[in-house]
Amino acid sequence: MNQIKTISKNDLNNFINKLIQDKNYEVFGVKSKGKRYVFDQLEDASELRLDHDVTIIPPKKYFLPQYEKLMDFNLEKQFEVKPKDEIKPRVIIGIHPYDIIALEQMDKVYLDSQKDDFYKKRRENTILIASDIQNVSDRSFAASMNTNITDKGFDLLLTNIENKYAITIGSEKGKYLLEKYAKVEDAKEVDIKKIDNARKKTLTKFKKKVALPKEEWPYVLVANYDSGIWEERSDKCMECSSCTMVCPTCYCYDIKDEVSLNLKTGSRIRTWDGCLLRDFTKVGSGDVFRDERKERYRHRFFRKGNYLPARYNFVACVGCGRCGIACLPDIADPCEVMSSLAHHRKSDDTTRFFIKQETKVAETNTIHVPRKATIKRIEKLTDTEKLFEIELDDKKPLGHKPGQFIEVSIFGIGEAPFGLASPPSDTPAFEIAVRKVGNVTSKLHEMSVGDKIGIRGPLGNGFDIKALEGKHLLLTSGGIGMYPMRSLIKYVLDKKNRKNFKNVIILYGAKRPKEIIFLNEIQDWKKCEDTICQLTVDRCEQGECWSESVGLITTLFPKIRVDKLDSKNTIAVVVGPPVMYKFVIKSLQTMGIPDENIFVSLERRMKCGVGKCGHCQINGVYVCKEGPVYNYKQIKSLPEAFE
Amino acid sequence: MKQKPRVAIFDFADCEGCELEIADLEEEILELLEIVDIVSFREVMKEHSDSYDIAIVEGSIMRPMDEKRLRDIRSKAKILVALGACATTGGVNKIRNQWMHDEVIRDVYGDAPVHGNELFDVFKTKAINEIVPVDYYIHGCPIDRDEFKHVITALALGRKPEIPRYPVCVECKKNENICQFELGAYCLGPITRAGCKAICPTHNSPCEGCRGLIKKAETECVWEVLERYNLSYEDIRRRCTMYNYGKEECQVDE
Repeated sequence: MNQIKTISKNDLNNFINKLIQDKNYEVFGVKSKGKRYVFDQLEDASELRLDHDVTIIPPKKYFLPQYEKLMDFNLEKQFEVKPKDEIKPRVIIGIHPYDIIALEQMDKVYLDSQKDDFYKKRRENTILIASDIQNVSDRSFAASMNTNITDKGFDLLLTNIENKYAITIGSEKGKYLLEKYAKVEDAKEVDIKKIDNARKKTLTKFKKKVALPKEEWPYVLVANYDSGIWEERSDKCMECSSCTMVCPTCYCYDIKDEVSLNLKTGSRIRTWDGCLLRDFTKVGSGDVFRDERKERYRHRFFRKGNYLPARYNFVACVGCGRCGIACLPDIADPCEVMSSLAHHRKSDDTTRFFIKQETKVAETNTIHVPRKATIKRIEKLTDTEKLFEIELDDKKPLGHKPGQFIEVSIFGIGEAPFGLASPPSDTPAFEIAVRKVGNVTSKLHEMSVGDKIGIRGPLGNGFDIKALEGKHLLLTSGGIGMYPMRSLIKYVLDKKNRKNFKNVIILYGAKRPKEIIFLNEIQDWKKCEDTICQLTVDRCEQGECWSESVGLITTLFPKIRVDKLDSKNTIAVVVGPPVMYKFVIKSLQTMGIPDENIFVSLERRMKCGVGKCGHCQINGVYVCKEGPVYNYKQIKSLPEAFE
Repeated sequence: MKQKPRVAIFDFADCEGCELEIADLEEEILELLEIVDIVSFREVMKEHSDSYDIAIVEGSIMRPMDEKRLRDIRSKAKILVALGACATTGGVNKIRNQWMHDEVIRDVYGDAPVHGNELFDVFKTKAINEIVPVDYYIHGCPIDRDEFKHVITALALGRKPEIPRYPVCVECKKNENICQFELGAYCLGPITRAGCKAICPTHNSPCEGCRGLIKKAETECVWEVLERYNLSYEDIRRRCTMYNYGKEECQVDE
């Protein structure tokens, strides 16, 4: 049971003014802005509006600001980076219970396996003085989401009880604040009754109620993934992402580099992003995942009502109603969307779009701050591809598994993910292959041996080597899928490891003969014992020298003798461009390879690499965290995986 | 040291306000000069050279003589950047495309003897990408100085500038503004390219679409909003006349 005090309205003002005058804190609270309300810095207690219905945007901005410097860098020195860490203690006053609950949810995301230091510091340095709801927004349905009241998550909670305020103490920090700055009395029985009455009175002010209880959202959404309502409603979507900008449980972000006009210094900036925007999923090659408007629209509801519930066990909507207010065509309000599904079918399985997997995140240093590394060797592979050997300057081995990736930073240009192309090693050197497609890749192609770059990782899960041991291996790659596949092949064919695997069949296809990479190594692979290596190109023009197959990658499969393969004891690994998977997997199934023996590695826009920014999400899973390697049996139920 | 890129800034039909925004960088101009040589910039300097790598072109094209000059600039520049709404969409100069140009000349100059004078020989106003290929765009009326800096530094670093392809609402929401529609105004923010930090709605003036439209005015979602706020298609058409006359959709830099 929380301790409860009371304070007169006058003393509450004095308390707040004392906090403002004490220069130890920055004090923020709810203020009016025209007919609406915002969280803003308080200069005097009289500005505070505890009678507000809802603020335009939630207090998440104090923990994940709209625009935030993650680090400063110096472009004149080849690698100098300084993470930002100024955060003054803050007090935020007037947060409604639904926003407190939203913050608790955000904590799960930002403080779970990989802590976000920037968020964590702000969270630790902030005192939350919540306020019970007095007036209810027309669009709020918090009462039917059970988020209209809360008994935790705050340091102090204010309740207006007629001529004074009750203060519920939620933490030691809150208690200390009262002791130091406020004149309070112990609450009497009658005061506690009044708190209850005040809350009951507020309850009657809620006009909106969601017809589908939130516990049922995950079940109903799963069964209605293909419902027509997504398309029907999204036809009216302006794709402005206003719904996500004002949402207290939307926390996706983008990262950009800004540089000074003389190119001497710069900063890496984090800013809010929204999944309703088409470029949200766009990768370097230009591919856009979730290209259709209805898919993006649906994603938002699934993220709130199914994906996050499957991951964390909470519905990520707190019923504040802000999106309903912000959406011009009025199609964003979950109360209406979920209510319209109230009598729809339910599924028993809520985790269909999610893969439960314990992934140890390897990034141990400060989130987003890369480690310094040096380019040691550059080898031209094709006209547009180069192989880079890189070494961490701390001389520690990267410690990666085949299939894992790293984020490469070039300050002033940006950061991009690259699959590791070299096998695990005890030395600090590792390799990536890079096709010139975007800003970072183009810049890498201009760089020379000795140049400094930043590295984060290894990231992602990588191949489960244990599952491959004792089996025949059928390793299929297309195009740049050969980069990560090379890491696995070189590991498997390594003399130390070769005995752990049975026959190895390597199938590799590219568009044209000149695009076949690592040809010298392939000749060596062919010489290995019990190893078959077959190549194909989509087309071969006159004058091009090519002695192997011509045709799509699938033309190689009939050439494999199934009897020799022992399909039940074969593990197939597939890495290639998005279009390749469907056809290759069909061929594998025809050969009798069970789905659970098939592993794929998928590409998406892995921006943060630590399961936060949201860009790489395939339905409920993060490619950067639960991937990029997936067991086909697990991922085949995710409609966005092979669309 | 690598030679600094040579930059020339040119203007056509416009108010030169975007050039003024560059001039208004004040001491930062000195930083700019550390990375580029400005070889022509009529608004602030007397010197001029025809040898340049990057041409920054402000203004819209109104006359055959402008077209000729623009083609000449394009032929000399490796990179051509359109500066400001007049150059990127045709801007306010396109308003006159609603009328026959004889009519316009008569209205403006009356009986003055302008016939046969090439300075008054006008055709329909054009954005510069209607005449020559444009490599990069700096949108706005006027431009946003930070975006100008972003484009210049990106080009200097050999990186493609990132110009938003989402609507002004994104930035407007981040600024915690009360929606202009909620205030009873009619704002083009939802269909206009962001990048201006939603400066107009933030200062309580609805968006006029100066950075170009990113969505067709005749889509279902726009109809829905018009209907909800008791507006007609005529309203939106009239509103788009200011900066986007004759443009149903911004097709630049896709």
